[in-house]
Amino acid sequence: MTAKFDPFTAASTTRRRFLAGAAGLGALAAMPIKVWAAGNTLNIRTYTEADNFDPVDASGFGEEMLYGAIYRKLIQYTPGNEWGWQPDLVESIEQTSPTEIAFVLKKGQMWSDGFGEITAEDVKFSLERIIDPEMESAIKPDLGSLTGVDVTGTHSGVIRLGTPFAPIWSIALPYLAGTIVCKKAIGHGKRITDAVPPTVAGPYRVAEHRPGDRWVLERNPEFSGPKPDFEKVQIFLIDDEATAEIAFEAGDLDFTRVGLGSIERLRENPPENAKLSEHPSLYYVWVGMNMESPKLKDIRVRQAIQHAIDVPSILEAAYFDVADASTGIIAPGLIGHREESLVAPSADFAKARALLDEAGVDTLDLKLDVLNKSTWTTAAQVIQATLAEVGINLSIGVHESGSFWTLGNEGDGDRWKSLELVLNRFSMTPDPYYATAWFTTEQIGKWNWERFSNEEFDRLHEEAKAETDVAERDRMYKRMQDIMEESGAYRFITHEAAPNLYSTAIKPALRPDSQPLIQFFAKA
Amino acid sequence: MSIAERSSFKYTAVGRLMSDPLAVAAVTIIALLVLCAVFADAIAPYDYKALNVRERFAPPSFVHLLGTDNLGRDTFSRLLFGARIALFVGLTSVGLAALIGLMLGMVAGFGPRWLDNAILFLFDTLRAYPTIILALALGALLPPGLGTVILVVVLTTFSEYGRVARTQTQALSAQEFIDAERAMGASPARILFMHILPNVLGPFFILAAINLPVVITIEAGMSFLGVGVAPGTPSWGATLKDGFDYIRNTPWLIVSGGIPLVLVTLGFTFLGESLRDVLDPKLRKER
Repeated sequence: MTAKFDPFTAASTTRRRFLAGAAGLGALAAMPIKVWAAGNTLNIRTYTEADNFDPVDASGFGEEMLYGAIYRKLIQYTPGNEWGWQPDLVESIEQTSPTEIAFVLKKGQMWSDGFGEITAEDVKFSLERIIDPEMESAIKPDLGSLTGVDVTGTHSGVIRLGTPFAPIWSIALPYLAGTIVCKKAIGHGKRITDAVPPTVAGPYRVAEHRPGDRWVLERNPEFSGPKPDFEKVQIFLIDDEATAEIAFEAGDLDFTRVGLGSIERLRENPPENAKLSEHPSLYYVWVGMNMESPKLKDIRVRQAIQHAIDVPSILEAAYFDVADASTGIIAPGLIGHREESLVAPSADFAKARALLDEAGVDTLDLKLDVLNKSTWTTAAQVIQATLAEVGINLSIGVHESGSFWTLGNEGDGDRWKSLELVLNRFSMTPDPYYATAWFTTEQIGKWNWERFSNEEFDRLHEEAKAETDVAERDRMYKRMQDIMEESGAYRFITHEAAPNLYSTAIKPALRPDSQPLIQFFAKA
Repeated sequence: MSIAERSSFKYTAVGRLMSDPLAVAAVTIIALLVLCAVFADAIAPYDYKALNVRERFAPPSFVHLLGTDNLGRDTFSRLLFGARIALFVGLTSVGLAALIGLMLGMVAGFGPRWLDNAILFLFDTLRAYPTIILALALGALLPPGLGTVILVVVLTTFSEYGRVARTQTQALSAQEFIDAERAMGASPARILFMHILPNVLGPFFILAAINLPVVITIEAGMSFLGVGVAPGTPSWGATLKDGFDYIRNTPWLIVSGGIPLVLVTLGFTFLGESLRDVLDPKLRKER
């Protein structure tokens, strides 16, 4: 009798086989994704998406992150804890007079896709198109008083300023407006409208863009600098910090900003093979008071509110005690940072009540407008509780971002007229000029929602941006913040904090405010 | 009580309702909710507004029965006061929506064809709007608060009552007793309010009972999305939103915030179904 091969019984599942198979699948599922993910890919998260390749149309950090990887600049921010810059395309660059900067480009720096060498003509083209009124670039103010670039040789030129402009080194050349693009590829008066940039010069080039999802970059084989460590970079758009944290823990991200509420937990128990880095931030948060509101016209009422807001309580409740109280709008480490504010961070209810009595105010009903994010609504509830101590009944108006950012803008209706208190937060670049620019008289009804107007402040703002003496400039910006605080219209809260979570398999390169410079990221 | 009296009680609507265990459970849950709402001041162990940041995210304990939230406020106390908001929003908006729907539905069912078509067009237009989209749109235009929540609920639900009222009115209008009233010279107002209205009210109570938890969850949903009540208001939805925002810090907040919503949904749904069984003559015969 010969045994017959029965394919059905041979393939049938025994209990032992089933358990073995299930165990195998379970082990496979338990393996970290990185085990089989390409080790040459850097996965990084952004909260704001770049939606174009053209610096003329750039608006913020989303673009800066992308441009840093695919384009080059004359100088770039140095990664590390101190603000500074390092040469990128230039062999040398020097301020030869208060209004002239001479530069010499390195030779042999190439554009990709056959567009030849990067020349001084490209530099002239790139900077002058930003200030060209016909191009209507939103980042034109970043170049300040720049009037043009004189080309003195194939690789040399002179940047000319109408008046001295100190931020040229801190926010003009190393940031968005300083991005160099290819004159031959774009052409005069035109914009980059292609699906991918026609040419790049940075360490990476664009492989794919999935709007609302990710940018996929790949190594630029024609990059003239040292070969980057990663073959591929994926920049994922993830708005929510908690979601990003979960994605990191799942192995889908190598680097992400995390929420302040997670810091304590991550300090004690970070995910496996991960590190938490904590940096100061440049953002500034404050409670602004509309000086034209009938209820807030009396400076004593505004000063009472300044004294009744307890900043340490806000920091404890909304910022989990990981952010420090701010002294103004200019963060530590920058020119013009004040060591102390005029009004101490802790509330002084007795003083606040005395100021209200002096102003003849017994009780007061006010409204505080905030964004609909938990940090803001939490802070608002703390402010509500502390103002109640001095007889101020605060109602809280919550707005989604589209509604919130038009509250004080005269061009968006009449809501600015009924604005009373607003909990606000602005982003910042590493020069004080960028902070004070929004509080001048000219900005009333645009970004100056407090409708604060002071002649000395306006004059100092104009003078300080042209001042090249660092000590004098520092004094001027400190005085400007004193003036803001003396008006009673501002209660400064914090510059926040910037915690990042990153894989120990990578070596991140960050600006001092912890914004990633992905062109310098490397493998650990 | 005599045997005859007891038997008669058994056959009344309330008697039939009380003989249904599901209805008894529903009434118990609703009674508890009402008691919590009415006596929240006396029952709540803490001031629902009192901040104590150092004790935030505390788990349930004998000190804080349902733990504390992100500002260290006692969750149990906030949920008790949340019952008051839930009931206020639920009863006010269901009452208003039912009243508007009843009036328009009866006019549509009894009036001329052109008026019927016009009112039906209004019902269809409003029903076509997804509740959440309308809530977000109105939430962006109007200040957050209970008034906005009630407006959204009324706008999105009154057409449902209107449709029921219209159908009932049309069916009753064709009945012989209405023809008899007309023949005797009764005015349209008398026919509508004296003869049709009492017969329409039965299905209305059922619909209202079933809609109450829906309305409460709409309020919770709007607060969750940040377009409902103002921050600090102890609404159940706001508690859920805080729980969602801080779920990585504590799971208790979202669990505690969900419990009353589950209970109130079950309570009113059971009550609505039991009322339908008791009040609908067809279902009664089938039983």
